[in-house]
Amino acid sequence: METNEKPAALRIEGLTKIFHLGRNKNVTALDNLSLEIKEGEIFGLLGPNGSGKTTALKLILGLLFPTSGQIEILGRDHQDVEVKNDIGYLPENPYYYRYLTGPEILTFYGRIFGIKKENLEEKKEELLKLVGLYDKQHLPLKHFSKGMLERIGLAVALLNNPKFLILDEPTTGLDPIGSRETRNLLLNLQAAGKTILLSSHYLSEIEKVSNRVGILHQGKLLALGTTSELMTQWKAGDIEDLFIKVIEWSKQS
Amino acid sequence: MTKITYRNSSIAAIVLLFLLLSPLQNKIDLQRKQMGFEQRLLLMPGQITGSLILGGFKGLAADLLWLQVEELFHSGQSYKMLPILRSVTFLQPKFVTPWAVGGWHLSYNISVMVKDHPEQEKAWIQAGVDFLKEGISYNPERYDLYFELGWTFFNKVKNYAEAVKYLELACKFPRPDYIDDALAHAYEKNGQIDRAMETWKEIINSGNSFSPTAVRMLHNLKTYGSTIVPEKK
Amino acid sequence: MVKAIVIAKNTFQEALRMRSYQIILVFALLLLGSSQLFSFLTPVEQLKMIKDVSLSGIEFFSALMAILASMTALRSEFETNTISTLLSKPLKRSDFILGKFLGMALVTTLGVVIMSVVFIGLILFKQHSFEISLFSALFLIWAEMLVIIAITLAVAAFASTAFTLIFVFFLFLVGHLTSYGFSLSGEMKNPVLQVIIKFFYNIIPNFENFAIRDQVVVGGTIPITYLLKTFGYGIIYTAIALIVCLYFFRYREV
Repeated sequence: METNEKPAALRIEGLTKIFHLGRNKNVTALDNLSLEIKEGEIFGLLGPNGSGKTTALKLILGLLFPTSGQIEILGRDHQDVEVKNDIGYLPENPYYYRYLTGPEILTFYGRIFGIKKENLEEKKEELLKLVGLYDKQHLPLKHFSKGMLERIGLAVALLNNPKFLILDEPTTGLDPIGSRETRNLLLNLQAAGKTILLSSHYLSEIEKVSNRVGILHQGKLLALGTTSELMTQWKAGDIEDLFIKVIEWSKQS
Repeated sequence: MTKITYRNSSIAAIVLLFLLLSPLQNKIDLQRKQMGFEQRLLLMPGQITGSLILGGFKGLAADLLWLQVEELFHSGQSYKMLPILRSVTFLQPKFVTPWAVGGWHLSYNISVMVKDHPEQEKAWIQAGVDFLKEGISYNPERYDLYFELGWTFFNKVKNYAEAVKYLELACKFPRPDYIDDALAHAYEKNGQIDRAMETWKEIINSGNSFSPTAVRMLHNLKTYGSTIVPEKK
Repeated sequence: MVKAIVIAKNTFQEALRMRSYQIILVFALLLLGSSQLFSFLTPVEQLKMIKDVSLSGIEFFSALMAILASMTALRSEFETNTISTLLSKPLKRSDFILGKFLGMALVTTLGVVIMSVVFIGLILFKQHSFEISLFSALFLIWAEMLVIIAITLAVAAFASTAFTLIFVFFLFLVGHLTSYGFSLSGEMKNPVLQVIIKFFYNIIPNFENFAIRDQVVVGGTIPITYLLKTFGYGIIYTAIALIVCLYFFRYREV
């Protein structure tokens, strides 16, 4: 290990998740996953639908419980409620209470985080401007489009100034301009010292921001490294080519 | 805390709380019995009343049945109202009105329908008396049914000794003014003239609304030996 | 605890917006008003009718509100996935459940209070007085609702919407009949059967404990010791139901 190596923001060892769906019907959603994400890194988790990406994120957040394996976030057990003070989470297809407005949603979650009232007001304004929803602050969420919900979700994820961001399909529903704005935001957040775990099936988006990627298929981690390392290793021309080669290899073996 | 530890401590807490609950339920049951709550279930299939009773809304069911009794009486179908009357008093024995009105229906209204058959008439009057006595057993701490029974003995049965007995009982409880007047009349009819005069004097002294009547009754008793002024020949 | 209050406040606001809550309240108030229609009865009978109809109505509609609102409060979080946005925050699962319970208790209390105010107004209008014992009846209806809310949350924590609705309504009916079943068992000759019935009598919530309508509508008084015992029963049963709820929710995957 190098002496100036950054500590792990996330450490997963031997993580397995088996869903018991009925008599003799078990589904292995994750199979012995091990990986480390260093502090300040942007890590992209790639995989087709059903590969286990969302399962992995939910296990990390304590929304699902592992069948076996260990998870550590920022050096602490992932089930420790206090560690969530340092995590920001954007779920896939975020959904919030329909009758609340953007500021009201931020107030609600701000209180869950225990953010003081004086600090919260300033924070709300800053975040709404950041995600481009400041002029929509009187609109209840039931009138929000999918893209707007993603953006308010991002604001909620950033509310507690988290050290570790977990984003599940963050650019779903965003137009190309919105996607680019999100990408730039992520790079700025990384520059501010945040660690980001990103899950997506938009390959080019992941390639543009991630330091390293991991490719999941049927619950197994098939490839792990920087995109350039992997493309050399798999003799792939671009990330799409890499993805297809890895998946096809997995199907054949 | 592991999942098994959590499960075991939850089960232990639940068992402990149920163990607390059981003696408390016993105490509640005892107090309910003392307060006169009895669990009475009337199964009347095919009627909405049945569902209400099953839902625990006995009082409401009793009210709806009571409305039926009123309707049947006013439409001249008194015989049909008897089983329903029984249901009302069964469901809510503490509701005195059905006992009072029911007793009146039996002793007065129904007996009058069979007045050409003296044995039957007597039986219906007795049925009213028995009905009121049953009502008293559930409501022994109120004047209402003692008065109804006393008045039935006075007016219908003409048994003045029994009338005095029940009207005296009625006077042991908070009551309207006319009860004392009725008692005084019963004493007179029962030959207890001194007690009758004492009662009317008490009515006058208490400022009871029947005082003017009492003054007149007392005067008549002293002058004519009866509260009824004899006709001038 | 502070976070539980945040959840409670949000739960309360969401429940107030529920169309079904508003409709039930309107129906209840209509029923209370309709008890005025029995003007052909004698004043004594009319007053008894108003008291019976009102107290029965308040109990029934409060139960309906409590069951529907509590069930929706929890199930909607699962169905819309807002639960994952909450549990991914520094919020203990116990605070979440406690918050849901408090929010539901608040919204049901509001419903009971609104209906009670109308009821009190009706009685004062007719009778120009209001017996303390009627307050006792309203207090015990409220206490009964706490138990119903906790039981609904407990079942909703693991069961589907349809099952929760059917089961809790069924329990509400059965809970009013257990005393009768238990009193019948005294006449049984089989001691094993008696023990079994006694066991179920103690497990199933006895909602008849909270029913003092029959006494109060005919002018009876209720001793404070009875109110305290029954309230205590309600609190203990509520605690049991909440522990069950937490047990199912603690390891529930979302």
